[in-house]
Amino acid sequence: MKARLIRRDDLLKLVDLLRHRGYEVLAPFCDRGRDTYFDTVTAENRDRVQIHLPNPYYPPKRFVLPAMERLLRVRQTNGSFVLEPTCEAPRRAIFGIRSCDVAGVHHLDRFYLGREFRDPYYAQRRQAVLLVNLVCTDPERDINDECFCVCADTGPAAHDHFDLQLMDLGEGEFMAVAGTSAGEALLAETLFERCTAAHVEKRRAILTEVRKRFKVATSWFTATVRYISQGSILERTWEEIGNRCLECGGCTYVCPACTCFTVTDRRVGPDEIERVRIWDACALGGFTRMAGGHNPRKAVHDRRNRRFFRKLAHYFIQRELSMACVGCGRCTAVCHGDVGMPSVVEMIRRATAPEEKLEPVKENPQP
Amino acid sequence: MIAPAEVNIYLPKLAVLDRVEDEISEVKTFYWHFQDPAEQESFRRFRPGQFAQVSLFGTGEFPASLPPSPTEDETFFTIRQVGSCTAALHALRPGDIFGVRGPYGNGFPMEEYHGRNLVFVAGGIGLIPLRSCIIYALTHRDRYGCIQVFYGAKTPQELLYVRNLRDWERSAGVECHLTVDRPAGDWAGNVGVVGSLFKKPGGQVAVENATAFVCGPPVMFRFVIKDLLAMGFAERNIVSTLERYMKCGVGKCGHCCIGVAYVCVDGPVFTYEQIQRLGEDI
Repeated sequence: MKARLIRRDDLLKLVDLLRHRGYEVLAPFCDRGRDTYFDTVTAENRDRVQIHLPNPYYPPKRFVLPAMERLLRVRQTNGSFVLEPTCEAPRRAIFGIRSCDVAGVHHLDRFYLGREFRDPYYAQRRQAVLLVNLVCTDPERDINDECFCVCADTGPAAHDHFDLQLMDLGEGEFMAVAGTSAGEALLAETLFERCTAAHVEKRRAILTEVRKRFKVATSWFTATVRYISQGSILERTWEEIGNRCLECGGCTYVCPACTCFTVTDRRVGPDEIERVRIWDACALGGFTRMAGGHNPRKAVHDRRNRRFFRKLAHYFIQRELSMACVGCGRCTAVCHGDVGMPSVVEMIRRATAPEEKLEPVKENPQP
Repeated sequence: MIAPAEVNIYLPKLAVLDRVEDEISEVKTFYWHFQDPAEQESFRRFRPGQFAQVSLFGTGEFPASLPPSPTEDETFFTIRQVGSCTAALHALRPGDIFGVRGPYGNGFPMEEYHGRNLVFVAGGIGLIPLRSCIIYALTHRDRYGCIQVFYGAKTPQELLYVRNLRDWERSAGVECHLTVDRPAGDWAGNVGVVGSLFKKPGGQVAVENATAFVCGPPVMFRFVIKDLLAMGFAERNIVSTLERYMKCGVGKCGHCCIGVAYVCVDGPVFTYEQIQRLGEDI
């Protein structure tokens, strides 16, 4: 991949350039307090765009898959209907998207576009989106207590699936790496300068250091994938996990890789109906409830089982060639019952790992 | 607008309701056709066991089995009124417009059953998805061995597709065994659960070289599976079609996913062997 340098002072000029090219630029902001968020860059807030900051609770997923989206506008005329598919696909650049969230968008790509039925709404919106990834290098500001991208192999520096990647090398310099032809076109701008082998080496050294600064090390991820795929996790373990679930669905709504949705019709005028799709969560009791009331997944632990099975079963990882957990740690941050991904992996490890049964060899008394 | 290059998998096509026939209490058959004749023509190439998404604009969409065989001329749904969408469908009058998307799902692999005996076991409205398969097999009678239908309902009034049942009872090409839980009127047939038919004289199930199709309420399903396994059916030769809450029908919304399978795209037809391996109870 092609690499160049950009001055820290010029990063905002890159934002300006993208805005000038007609992109709605979404960038991270931080007001007073801890909460951070992605917002559209305007002339007014441009100077407050943040480079290093805790990853916002709400992932930028909504810019490719809105929480609520209209699929159809249906107009009633003379006893019949006129169906008009509607799709808004603004030209957008997500500036400062973290590596875990890049992996999240890639997972959505695999899920919505990679199989037999392509989702046309997702395809159209995704096509218009440019990803400017920022590598997490500041252990104090970028890396939260809950981050575990090193275990999911999605960060701190994304390997691919971004258009442009920026990484702070210190001393006011950022390395810019192009991941796509759109990114390469940007690198040709005069904002970027030549980078040397020494910079590449510096990047490698920084990453090696940063990897040591993660607090959650869920190194049992792979073992958990195996236990879940083999079905060797006891029902009791799922019950324990389920007992701690408050069924709020929060984990799903902050997950950059969750894909489920529901569809509903709503009346918006005397002769007009909208069909919208809305994010849905398998934690919620109504997720599998059928008309008539029968619910095949009634127990909360069955639903928790579902979430982790769907994310970690080998079958699905192979089916999408991408794992539905990207290691962002948001589920841990929002879960009141502490059954976010790292805790669940740990609970499964404790309950499932074969117990060591050591038997000291008795020494025979000397004859 | 959606780019012309993309196929909109969520866009229903407009359909006209032709007529409605009462089947049993709260269950009606809705005959319909697509407004666009080309659409009708391509839709009619569905496979037995597939399903469609039915749109009642302003109320919503629901998945419905396709009871007709592709060899029949008419397209129709047989629907029990249980929720808001089915209620909206039941409220429609001939000439009214609604939406249909599909056909979806894998359907029964009818070619795989060539030369085999077919044993259909249905309870209640479980006959709806099997009807397509039965009619299809009877239309291509020479391709299949012995065809048996075992069907049970709560009362004689609750037997579905009475016209077809009468035909099958009279036809030499198919053995048709009926039973009810509670007899009424001039019912002279068997009384008891579907499984009781297997023990009746003449109800001997053709086990050798046979595929069994089971569809019905969960309790019936469990007992019939037990009976069939005891008779010597291999798990891979017992086939069923599963039902789940679905929003999209195309493997995206996630509601119908059981274990490792999306019922809408990997099913709804599964062998009992596959059902056992899903990794979750059905």
